[in-house]
Amino acid sequence: MLLTNLDIERIVIHQVFQRTSEGLTKDPLQSHDLTKFDTSAMTAFKLRVIDALGESSKAVQMQIYNQDSNGLPSLVDKLVELDDTNFILESYEIAKKLTTAQSKKSIPGGIVVVFTGKYGVSRKKFLAVIKAEVHSAYEKLQDPQTQEISLKFVEEVLLTPSSKLYKTAAFFEKASYATPTTDLNDKWTVLISDYQISQSDGKAAAHYFYSEFLGFCYPETSARTTKAFYENASDFISQLPVNESKKSDLLNALTTYMKTDLSSTISCNDFSSKYFDVNTQDLFNEYMEDAGIPTTAFTKDIEHIASKLKFRKVSFSKNVKISAPSDVFKDYVEIETIPGAPDATGSPTVWTKVIIKDRISNQE
Amino acid sequence: MNENEFIDKWNAEKPQYAAWGAYVIEYISSGLLKNGKNLNEFLKIPVKYRLKENQSLLDKAFSRKDKNYKDPYNEIEDKVGARFVVLLIDDIRIICEIVLNNSNWDIDSCKHFDVDRDRDPLLFTYQSVHFVVRPKTDLTSNGSTIKAGTPCELQIRTLLQHAHAELTHDAIYKSKRTVKPKVHRIVAKSMALIETTDDFFSEATRYLNYGPLQEHNILTELDNVYFLLTNIKPSNQKSSLVIWDTFEQLIDENLINLIKKFVNKYEHIGETIKQNYNNNSVYPQSIVLFVYWMLKHRRTILIRDWPLHMSVLESFAIDMSVSLQVDS
Repeated sequence: MLLTNLDIERIVIHQVFQRTSEGLTKDPLQSHDLTKFDTSAMTAFKLRVIDALGESSKAVQMQIYNQDSNGLPSLVDKLVELDDTNFILESYEIAKKLTTAQSKKSIPGGIVVVFTGKYGVSRKKFLAVIKAEVHSAYEKLQDPQTQEISLKFVEEVLLTPSSKLYKTAAFFEKASYATPTTDLNDKWTVLISDYQISQSDGKAAAHYFYSEFLGFCYPETSARTTKAFYENASDFISQLPVNESKKSDLLNALTTYMKTDLSSTISCNDFSSKYFDVNTQDLFNEYMEDAGIPTTAFTKDIEHIASKLKFRKVSFSKNVKISAPSDVFKDYVEIETIPGAPDATGSPTVWTKVIIKDRISNQE
Repeated sequence: MNENEFIDKWNAEKPQYAAWGAYVIEYISSGLLKNGKNLNEFLKIPVKYRLKENQSLLDKAFSRKDKNYKDPYNEIEDKVGARFVVLLIDDIRIICEIVLNNSNWDIDSCKHFDVDRDRDPLLFTYQSVHFVVRPKTDLTSNGSTIKAGTPCELQIRTLLQHAHAELTHDAIYKSKRTVKPKVHRIVAKSMALIETTDDFFSEATRYLNYGPLQEHNILTELDNVYFLLTNIKPSNQKSSLVIWDTFEQLIDENLINLIKKFVNKYEHIGETIKQNYNNNSVYPQSIVLFVYWMLKHRRTILIRDWPLHMSVLESFAIDMSVSLQVDS
């Protein structure tokens, strides 16, 4: 998401707690003042926000389904308009909603950072919520006399650069929309960045956060975006200046990535960093961006390409075709380009050597 | 003019010659500064004018058999002289251009090693460039009046040519003994070697200073884009060379066009640079545009190979809202 000119104006921090061993909730701790960061702390904070939500991040665009006037999206819609005093007061509702949504005893507590500000050239509003889990770390201490270094155990640290330990959700006001809005999706672009969601089967683990708490669902456009990703990635691979056998490997990898990989999100960065060298990674990401594929992650939905993914096909100009189920193709078909005999005019030709690691079962 | 009259005249005119020598040096030095040269680095020996010693002048005027002067006082052109010693043959050309482009003085090109080499291709001997410059009209400098036609001899040579000249001048020219042919042969061999080495020095320097950056004129072009965006003249530092060096493989004839297209797409860039101008040392340099472009289009390699402190890159990542997180 393009968050240039990001200005963070107000930050308020509340604390939420893990459920007791009996499964009971504990009221969140309310904060009564805005948090002020000095310049370097603010820069580090912005960097965390951009690492989580900016371009090439793992953030996923979602859709608001909870349009209820008591739901969190409606609350956010109101919060951004409030003065500081009321903003501090009402933002506590967010912490209460998170406490309720954390229905499992295993979900850890942490702090809830609610912050608002403006972004982009048109200075539109945004509100974001970070749930940062508290973890422990060491602090370096140096004796002023002896210069000796020792480590002090710090039980509660937050917002370290590792994005695995916080979840971020953000509401970005759209550049233009009709007022009054009946559908909050017309006014707000919503994103979440959650390490869990991009893990294998992460949807379930992250469900409480994106659905119960935020009232989001996966966007209806996922299937279309997934299809566009697949087609453009295939085009990119077929244009690569590498031999056919390498292309075949990459197409197999793409099929596996789309079909078998258990992550519920896909992203250009993720795919390219797994299968391309560094230079090609950048070219791939650029190619995909030009083709209109999101620069952040997006949710995977292979509905429109399921049939394509089932079979891998290779066609030749004289109507020769080889086709096989993708997983069989990957393991049993080897393709290699070889120089052929010169044609009638003496020009060199290119032939293809195909090895099928199986005996013929039937001929017609 | 007898020897006494000669010396009296010379003593009387010394201040005028000194002023002319100082003026010529000042003129050439300021020309070099305008060329962006640091005089302390460019000139390998500090340059100062030198007035001929009385005795040496008398020797030259009256005793030397090889010079047959009719009017020795006016015919001797090196009564004041200045010597510019530089590292490379190409550096000599820079000084020659400055000398030749001044239309306020008359120039005699008395000696140039290029001409000597053409004339005597088999000879390896003293090499240097000599000019005699004379003001076309009377002029006043530092309170002294310099008459039109006052000569000043300029010698321009490389450090190696200078070393050869020192040896031949002091050890051979002033030798009390007859110099044996063998010595002449050795000195000639050393000149051949010096000429070869000077050529190698030039070649090495050209390779050092020539790469894709120069080939595609990237620096000037990028400076222009920077100025158009910010209205500030970029002040490029060594840190930018480190960055260019790291990402040299990305420099090609398209780069500037890609960056131009890119800055048109992200209109806030000029404003962002101005706002952060003092935040780190890269903002005042035009390479900041290349870094922004890389963040958007060559992010992976940028993060992997970034040669400066990470906090510098973080600041640009915030400006462009690009995540620096990489999958491990």
